[in-house]
Amino acid sequence: MSLSTGIYNTLFKRNSVFVGTIFAGAFLFGVGFDTATTTFWERWNKGKLWKDIRHKYVTDAEE
Amino acid sequence: MATFATKRATTLAPTVRTLASGAPIAPRLNLAARGQASEHDHDHGHSESSRSDIRPRWAGGVTFSAAGLVSKTVTTVHSPAFQPRLIHTSVANKDAPQVPDYSKYRTDPGSNRALSYFMVGSLGVLSASAAKSSISEFLQTMAASADVLALAKVEVDLSTIPEGKNVIIKWRGKPVFIRHRTQSEVDEARAVDWKSLRDPQSDEDRVQKPEWLVMLGVCTHLGCVPIGEAGDFGGWFCPCHGSHYDISGRARKGPAPLNLEVPAYEFTDGDGKVIIG
Amino acid sequence: MLSRLTAGAFKKVASFGASRSSTLFSGSRAASARFASTKASSSAFESLANSRAAFASASLFTVGSIAWYTHLYGTLPFVGKVHASHLSDEGLHPSAYPWSHKGPLDSFDHASIRRGYQVYREVCAACHSLDRIAWRNLVGVSHTADEARAMAEEVEYMDGPDAQGEMFQRPGKLADYMPAPYPNEEAARSGNAGALPPDLSLIVKARHGGADYIFSLLTGYIDPPAGVEIRDGMNYNPYFPGGAISMARVLFDGLVEYEDGTPATTSQMAKDVVTFLNWAAEPEHDERKQYGIKAVIIFSTLFWISLYVKRFKWGPIKNRKIFYNPPNNTH
Repeated sequence: MSLSTGIYNTLFKRNSVFVGTIFAGAFLFGVGFDTATTTFWERWNKGKLWKDIRHKYVTDAEE
Repeated sequence: MATFATKRATTLAPTVRTLASGAPIAPRLNLAARGQASEHDHDHGHSESSRSDIRPRWAGGVTFSAAGLVSKTVTTVHSPAFQPRLIHTSVANKDAPQVPDYSKYRTDPGSNRALSYFMVGSLGVLSASAAKSSISEFLQTMAASADVLALAKVEVDLSTIPEGKNVIIKWRGKPVFIRHRTQSEVDEARAVDWKSLRDPQSDEDRVQKPEWLVMLGVCTHLGCVPIGEAGDFGGWFCPCHGSHYDISGRARKGPAPLNLEVPAYEFTDGDGKVIIG
Repeated sequence: MLSRLTAGAFKKVASFGASRSSTLFSGSRAASARFASTKASSSAFESLANSRAAFASASLFTVGSIAWYTHLYGTLPFVGKVHASHLSDEGLHPSAYPWSHKGPLDSFDHASIRRGYQVYREVCAACHSLDRIAWRNLVGVSHTADEARAMAEEVEYMDGPDAQGEMFQRPGKLADYMPAPYPNEEAARSGNAGALPPDLSLIVKARHGGADYIFSLLTGYIDPPAGVEIRDGMNYNPYFPGGAISMARVLFDGLVEYEDGTPATTSQMAKDVVTFLNWAAEPEHDERKQYGIKAVIIFSTLFWISLYVKRFKWGPIKNRKIFYNPPNNTH
């Protein structure tokens, strides 16, 4: 049984499972995509963001 | 690969020929035959078309008009592609209709099945994700804006309030009573048999720290602002309709149906401040 | 019969491209007239499109449109205006500077925003207000909440009325907006020889050239060239439309002392304050670009997948054949 057939039989064969996979995938994708773009953004703009210079100005642990 | 027939030449029996003058002749067809005379034809005057004894108008000829005799000759412009056999009603004979070849559109249902479902599923995943973001962003526009939220909390320094004194501050346009209660007032508030009151509520439920009483200064009857350190129970007295509140802000006498409302507040750690909101 | 001839020519050209067989039919107008007409509907359209009435009405419509435009705007359309003004009236075009936030993926340089706020507070705020920025806006952008609160408390704000109906002064809170140097426009004008220092909240958006223009203006003060006369109290700046600006040069080397040790040159201060003003005009800038990255990725992916899915769904439809099998009558 090839990989594609396995995936087909587990995820796509029943429509309820398929739709459920889509919604679960949308949730996971949303979280993962946010994380990925934020990581990229912070790496691309490293040193310019507030989080990169914040430590210079925070005096106590309260903030 | 499917084979699609191309157009094939078919020899058709000639039905009509035209003379050089433009008049059609048909070897097997008697164009000179008169149409059946009908009573209606005479009435309408259109019977000319079917009469063989009159030359058809498109064939030219001499006609009599108001301008005199008009001779009209129809010339046939000779075209190299001229074909004598053109008036016929039979369609070209084809084995199959000409359709474009769409076989490259075909997907192999066996090998590409999982891929196809994956692509359809991905479409769903991305669409659902985009739709969810759109909806949540739209709903966020209905939330209070940042400048409203910035005003929604009020910070009060409690160290300036001496024991046994009231302070009235404004919070979201409404007065808030803050009373620094003495120990005797706390004892008095807690000694009451609160279960028999109109709006039964214990003093412990109404305060976070026993010495600090924080509540909205709006009478629960009709919304007047009660007067502090007045009334029959040593608490607040509403001058509008005579409601009496005790030192815990509970309605004791008069038309007020409920105790004075306690807003959400919290004490900051260490620096003796309370944040209302 | 000009129109009829053109109709025939039109038909000939059209049918030639369509198919060769119809070219045979309609080799010429005269020939096709002899045969049974198969083009009744299209020739009706052609005769309408080629009629004199259509030509006349289209011409009238065109002339009328141009006349209406000319009446409305005073000039002929598509004809450039002749100006009696000099190019200096438009101001020198600022050059494009490589701002740290210029690219579609670039955020603001927040350290520069913080320095720019310092320049604004120590230099610009003497004349210019910043009405739309509150102290809370600085939190998480260039200052911590404690710093912003401390700065706000240095300013007294009018509040009230209190229980006695009196207005009173209180120290600022995070929710308060930046204090204005003048109480109203008249005071601002009288303090600046009739010229109103504009509010700087949206100044980067409000001027052609945006950040480049502001930077060029701040650093572009020079002596007026020969032949240009500047009135007393005015200053010459080639980037300012007209050349004469009421604001004098304010940024000089070493005017402020940056807390992070950056050398306070004129151009450094101008760059920082323009970055700060750009942030003030577009506080949503960083978030907007993050959303842009996400939206471009999501929607371009959706586009390509939808092309695949369209092809997938249309495959069976386009390859479908319908066969007619005549019933077999031989029993």
